[in-house]
This record gives sequence, C-alpha cells and structure tokens, in this order.
Amino acid sequence: MTELISKLRTEIEKLFSEDRIDVFIAFKGADSPLRPQPAFYRAGNDLENLEYNSLCQNNLGNYLTRYPNETRIGMVVRGCESRTVNALLVEKQHLRENLTLIGIPCQGIVDIRKLIKRTGEEITAYSEHQNKVTIKYQEKKHTFAKQDVLHDSCLRCLHPNPVNADFLIGEPLPEGDPSLVREKVETFEALSKDKRYEWFSQEAERCIRCYACREACPMCYCTECFVDHNQPRWTESSITSAGTHAWHIIRAFHQAGRCTSCGACERACPVDIKMTYLTDKLNEDILEIYSFEAGMDGETQPPFAAFNMDDKKRFVV
Amino acid sequence: MMYILEKKKVEQVLSAWNKAFDVYAPQKVENYTQFLPFEKTKTVALNHAHNTRYPPKALFFPQSEIMLKYNSRLGRFEESGSKTKPMLIFGVRPCDAMAFSLMDTVFLSEDYVDPYWKAKREDSIVIGFGCSTPPQTCFCTTVGGAPFSHTGLDAILTDLDKAFSVQVLTNKAENLFKNLPPATEDQINEVKKIQRKATESMAPAFQTSGLKQKLDLIFESPYWETIAESCLGCGICTYLCPTCFCFDIVDEIQRKERIRNWDTCMFRIYSQEASGHNPRPSNKERTRQRLMHKYSYWLDHIGEIGCTGCGRCVCYCPVGLDIRAMLQTASEYESEVARA
Ligand code: SF4
Ligand code: SF4
Ligand code: SF4
Ligand code: SF4
Repeated sequence: MTELISKLRTEIEKLFSEDRIDVFIAFKGADSPLRPQPAFYRAGNDLENLEYNSLCQNNLGNYLTRYPNETRIGMVVRGCESRTVNALLVEKQHLRENLTLIGIPCQGIVDIRKLIKRTGEEITAYSEHQNKVTIKYQEKKHTFAKQDVLHDSCLRCLHPNPVNADFLIGEPLPEGDPSLVREKVETFEALSKDKRYEWFSQEAERCIRCYACREACPMCYCTECFVDHNQPRWTESSITSAGTHAWHIIRAFHQAGRCTSCGACERACPVDIKMTYLTDKLNEDILEIYSFEAGMDGETQPPFAAFNMDDKKRFVV
Repeated sequence: MMYILEKKKVEQVLSAWNKAFDVYAPQKVENYTQFLPFEKTKTVALNHAHNTRYPPKALFFPQSEIMLKYNSRLGRFEESGSKTKPMLIFGVRPCDAMAFSLMDTVFLSEDYVDPYWKAKREDSIVIGFGCSTPPQTCFCTTVGGAPFSHTGLDAILTDLDKAFSVQVLTNKAENLFKNLPPATEDQINEVKKIQRKATESMAPAFQTSGLKQKLDLIFESPYWETIAESCLGCGICTYLCPTCFCFDIVDEIQRKERIRNWDTCMFRIYSQEASGHNPRPSNKERTRQRLMHKYSYWLDHIGEIGCTGCGRCVCYCPVGLDIRAMLQTASEYESEVARA
C-alpha cells in the first residue's frame, strides 16, 4: 500500500466514524490489473481493496448525479474531477454542504492505449514508481517514462490541483501550460477545410454508437439524450456517416462551457476514437470569448446557460 | 486431413479465393483488429494473441442493415439488394465460431428463419484460427468451448511459427486446401502438442455447476445493486459480444430505408415503453438481464450457455467489470432467499 493510499484510508475511516458521510466514492483494486474500478464504500471497515494509481481512469464525478441531494457523499477528487463537481454544483446536481471532497493533486492518468501500442493487449501486471511505470507483457517486464504514456488530456492539463477540496493529500503541483492545449488545437486547425473534414470523418465513422463516451462523461447526465429521442428523431441511429457525424458534433457542442477536459470520454471508447480535440477547441473558444473556464468555481453559470437582461445581443437560443 | 500453409503464402491464397468468395480477414485498425474485406488492404493480421475487438457476428448480422427500401417513384417497397458471392471468413477464433452456431439457433430456428442472416450465413465458409496462447481474459473452457474447438468451423489453423497447419473439417473446405502440401508426421505431433498445451493452460474461471439455479434464486436479491453501482450502462459489453443479437428497427424516412440496428439491454430506451413505463428502470435490472440472459435464459431455451468466453466484455468494460468475477460472486452470494 502506498503512503497516499494509507493516508486516504485513514481519512475515509475518520469520515465514517464521525458519521459525516453516507457513501465514499473512490477506486478499488479489481480483477484486471489495468482497470481499477470505481468503488462505493458504505462503512469504514471494508477499505482493504482501496486503490489509487495512475490507471484510475474514470471521472468519479460521473456518479454524483446518481444520488439524491440528501445523500452525504465523500469523494476523492483530482483536478478535473473537482472542476466537474463544481460544474455539476452550478447545474444544481447536488448540495455542496452534503459533499466532502478529499483532493489529490493529480500526476496524470496513464492511457492504456499507449501501453498497448508499445507492447500488445496482454498486459498482466502494472506498477508505478515516481515517474516510471512498469508493466508485464507476455512474462517480460517493460518500463516506460510516465510522461510518454499519459493520456493526452492529462499531458495538457491546466489545473492538476483540486479547486474545491475540503483538504488535500499530497503537495500542490505547478499549474499546466496553456500553450500545450493550443498546440493540440492548432494541429487540427492548421489543416485545410477538407483535411479537417477527413480527420473528423475518419474518427467519427469508426463509431459503434455504444455511447460509452456519453455514459463515462459526468456532464452527460440528461435522462433522455438527444440521440435517444424518437419523437421527433434528431439524428439517424444507424452507423451511417450522417448518424455518426451528427452524434459526434452535437455531443461536443452540448459540452461547450461545461466540459472540464478530463478525457474520460476518450478513455472509455472501445474503438479508440479521438474526440477531445473537439471539446478542447470549444473550451478554448469559451475562454477566449467569454473568459470562462468550466468548474473553476461552484457558482458562475456557463455562458450558454446564463441569461442576462442586459445582454447586448437579446437573442435567446 | 492436415495441410501446411506457409505464412508468406497466405495473402496469395486469399487473393486467389477472392475470385469465388467475398473474403474477410482480421486487419489492423488503430490499436486493434477487425474483420474487413481482404480486398481493402490485402493484408491479414493474425499475429495478435487477442481476438478482434469488433466481433465477426457483424459479417452475418451487420450493426446497421437495410431491410428494405421504398421506391417513391414506383410507390413500392423493394428488397435491399443481394450478395453476389458466398462469404469466406478467414481467421475466426473458436469462441467466435461457436458464437455463430449459437446465433444460428436464434436466427435459423424451427419457428422463425431470418432471411437476412440466412442469405449470408448458409453458403459461407469459416476458417478458424486456434489459440496457442490464450490470453488471461479468455475463458472458453469454462463455458464448454476450447482454444481449438471445431464447432462452427470448416477448417482450423494452428500457428507453427513460419507456417499454419490446416485441419480440414468439412468437405466444403477440402476443395480450398487440397493443393497444399500435407503435414508431416512430426508436424501433426507438434500441432497436437500445441493444442493440448493451450487447453491445459486455461484454468476454470468460475463455478458453472448450479450457477443457473443460483442466478434464478437471487433474481430479487440486492446483489445486482452492487454491480449496477459502477456499471455505466453503455453498449460496450453487448455490442462487442459475439452472441448478443438484439436489434431495433427504424425507418430512416429521408433515406426511404427500413434499417435494423444493433440494440442492447444495457440502454434505458431498450425497455422503455410507449406509455413511459420502463420495466427495467435502472442499471440494476439491466445488468441482471445481461447476465441472466447468457447464464440462465439461454439454458432455458437451448440448454447451452449463451457466452463463449471470448473475453471482450472483460477487456473493454470502461469500469473494469469482469463477468467472471460477477458470476463467481453470484454463485457464492448468500442471500436471504438462498438461505430460506
Ligand atoms: S466531454 Fe469528455 S473531457 Fe469533457 S467533461 Fe465530458 S468526459 Fe470529460
Ligand atoms: S464511446 Fe466511441 S464508439 Fe462508443 S459512442 Fe462514443 S465515440 Fe462512438
Ligand atoms: S459475455 Fe463477454 S465473454 Fe461472454 S461471449 Fe459475450 S463478450 Fe465474450
Ligand atoms: S461495458 Fe461495463 S460499464 Fe458498459 S454496460 Fe457493460 S458492464 Fe456496464
């Protein structure tokens, strides 16, 4: 057990013994070494399998919307997760006073795909030490610099430190470099219109409409998603180019000013589709035009949700 | 009969078959492999220990399939077009071939024959590729299969490093391979050894005896809530599954087409009724449905488990839910009902 996990465990035990929470959401070590699972603890006495490492790839904020406001939730939050929680609080999805957030300054999430690309799928063990990760593939050990296998969203993360934690475990990290996000968006923007369309089509058309990206995204909590609506139908549900294009564009647009760039959508996709380049571009626009970044506080409405009587342009979407 | 097919000749052989068949083989896409028309790249990716990520069921049961078209000029419905050549699928893993046979019991049953499945399936040839080194996420032997099972196959390949041995299993396949050199005595023994070793390497993944009865017994138990708690309710485990066969029929009015798309019991709208009532209102009922269907209802219908142990749902579940662990826990679950 790492020092971090034992500290985390002590804190969770304390929250339960002081009766401050009903459930604690964290990660547990699970059946596959590559996929720690979201875990839901209900008492302080079952924390043996508590896990925290760079393979914890889900955004736990996703589970917040499943509980009624009265549930007192404890949660471990990394930078993006804490901003997600804020974004959800702005949208009135829970009550801040019923949340206890244990923050962990985040060193980044390892992208399983990048590991698989370097070896193959049959990875049977994983460990990490400082800035190196070691895996076992076909009985042989391979060590990589963590930086080389981090998920793209984490490489460009601007705010690795939780913004709203009740307390932190670990020392705060330096903030990220905005020029890295620019770089990624630029690579796409620099292409000609046709090339951009080709890139987009190539990614979107592999889509199998499993909606794992949607289900993994904490901000996609609509009871009825537009793709599921059938009277009227907004998009084709087939895996035609029209259907997949519409899905990818509209999903991204519904995130403008709400997405916290966690990358959970991309990590969930079973067919390795890139999609954060779209939301990153939208986030950049929202920052540029409205000076707004999703989830930096728990009160400010995202530009597209806010209505202001003095709005210069009296146009309501 | 056993023949030897040199690896460097594979692409040449497939090209030759392409005249009489629509040949499909695993090909590399991003980080994974998928069955695609051989013509597309003229390459074959058989060097992955893992199965293709996208299941080959899609060849007989495409994810989106046009059932009929409306001709507005003539004011009538028309068939969606027909294939010209039989399909030859090269490099199918035994679990997926077994899944074809299971799907036959759905789409080619005594009561109902699905014309779309039948048209593609009936004259197809399936050449298998046995698994010399089964990945840890596979569990075919637990559910009645084996890494070199013959079910659903016309021939099966074994990897002999520089060549494949080909065991021909049906007359249909004999014609395809009869011009290849036969395997030597040594090669035949080597193949036997590889196959035995592969089968022995797979320990039972969970207890199957009495599992169905246990699942039926804990239907109402809170056990399902524990799984549902982390499950996202996405389509990964069912869309990638080689035996899931649910579909939804829609009219794409602008295209003037009636299409059937894969559907999944893990989606809310799958069981949503027009009245607004949903008999499977939460992840709990949906997760239970997936497991019960494969490990109880299939047994009610045809006496066989509806899972072939391919491991796809294990590998690609975004929250790491492992069907083997879920079933093992279920079989050990002490519920009030179970104890009563
Ligand atoms: S759209 Fe993707 S990156 Fe943005 S919040 Fe949702 S899961 Fe995270
Ligand atoms: S997770 Fe990937 S395949 Fe599934 S709907 Fe999203 S983009 Fe498409
Ligand atoms: S349930 Fe999982 S292991 Fe079984 S056949 Fe389906 S995808 Fe494969
Ligand atoms: S793949 Fe995993 S998260 Fe998605 S529905 Fe299946 S069990 Fe749930």
